[in-house]
Amino acid sequence: MGTVQGDSNQQLFDRPLTDGVSSFVAAAHELKSPLALIRQLSLMIESGDLSPSDQQRLLRQISLTSERALRLTSDLTRSVRLSEAMFELEPINPQQLCRDIVHELTPLFALHDRRVKLVTRKHPLLLVANRDLLRRVIMSFSDNALHYTQDGSAIEIKVGCHSGGSVIRLGVRDYGPGLSRLNRRQLKSGRNLGPMPLHSRPQSSGLGLYIASQFADAMNAKIGVTQHRDGATFFIDLQASRQLRLI
Amino acid sequence: MNQSKVLIVEDDKWLAQQQSLMLSRAGYLVTHVVGADEAIAAIDDLVPDVIVLDVLLPGTTAFSLMHELQSYGDTGAIPIILSTNLAADLSLDDLAPYGVRRLLDKTTMLPDDLLAAVRGVLL
Repeated sequence: MGTVQGDSNQQLFDRPLTDGVSSFVAAAHELKSPLALIRQLSLMIESGDLSPSDQQRLLRQISLTSERALRLTSDLTRSVRLSEAMFELEPINPQQLCRDIVHELTPLFALHDRRVKLVTRKHPLLLVANRDLLRRVIMSFSDNALHYTQDGSAIEIKVGCHSGGSVIRLGVRDYGPGLSRLNRRQLKSGRNLGPMPLHSRPQSSGLGLYIASQFADAMNAKIGVTQHRDGATFFIDLQASRQLRLI
Repeated sequence: MNQSKVLIVEDDKWLAQQQSLMLSRAGYLVTHVVGADEAIAAIDDLVPDVIVLDVLLPGTTAFSLMHELQSYGDTGAIPIILSTNLAADLSLDDLAPYGVRRLLDKTTMLPDDLLAAVRGVLL
């Protein structure tokens, strides 16, 4: 068996994306999958061999796949312009924000035979963040979880607090394969992430995580991950708002 | 009717649905799994005649799966069709020792190409 030849292919996937064009390569890689899927589904419809209900299903899949790809392009554009703009930080009810996200993502998850649910808290919390950026971070975590969670299971969006209530944590728990050691180390170190090797988490360039870390930086927040035996929780820690205490 | 067994290892459920539909209509018995670990179990149970394999999979990689299959005489003989977005970066010559008989580029292939590839390797 030609192990030398095989290793050369393996190295292709383990090669770190550290050169100047890494972000472009990672973006191209991330967009290739949804575009290829849209193309395949469109060609199936073009073939004319499908029943009307199958056509409708494929059209819905095309719409939702397009929306996922557009979210990524929108996040990319936003991340490039982070340094050019001031982002207003405001008190936000994280439970309401997460509820809106769950509502928005439910159709996409349902078509993938998965569910997304919010784990609610009895006592309300208030945090300080930019609403748009925080929403993008949670959407990015959820999108990642959608891909790595198993059929029929639910991902959970959780709101909690620690450090005596001064830090609010929003987490997205999935049930799938974990991160590589490299990816965990980078998250743990707290330093800025860069686009990662293709196998940082299989089938991903880590671009979504990279963008999320940039959005978190812009809000003086931190992202991280907790590994579980059967999956992972990606989280963002933000400062709690003091307004609630004054009410 | 052709009753050859095809195992599709593909983590994109919607794409796998279409591939399964097309191959089923052509008379093949199709089983779909989303990852390499499930594939190993399915291969033991089904002993497929051909495997359609995506490269970037959650969990164990496609290369690990191919290594595993090559470790045994019976599974090593199962032809593999690699269906991937990364086809432009791969070489069929390099992959042939892993049992790969066809390399399909998801970004340029037509839906019928998969059917043609399955028919081709089963000839």
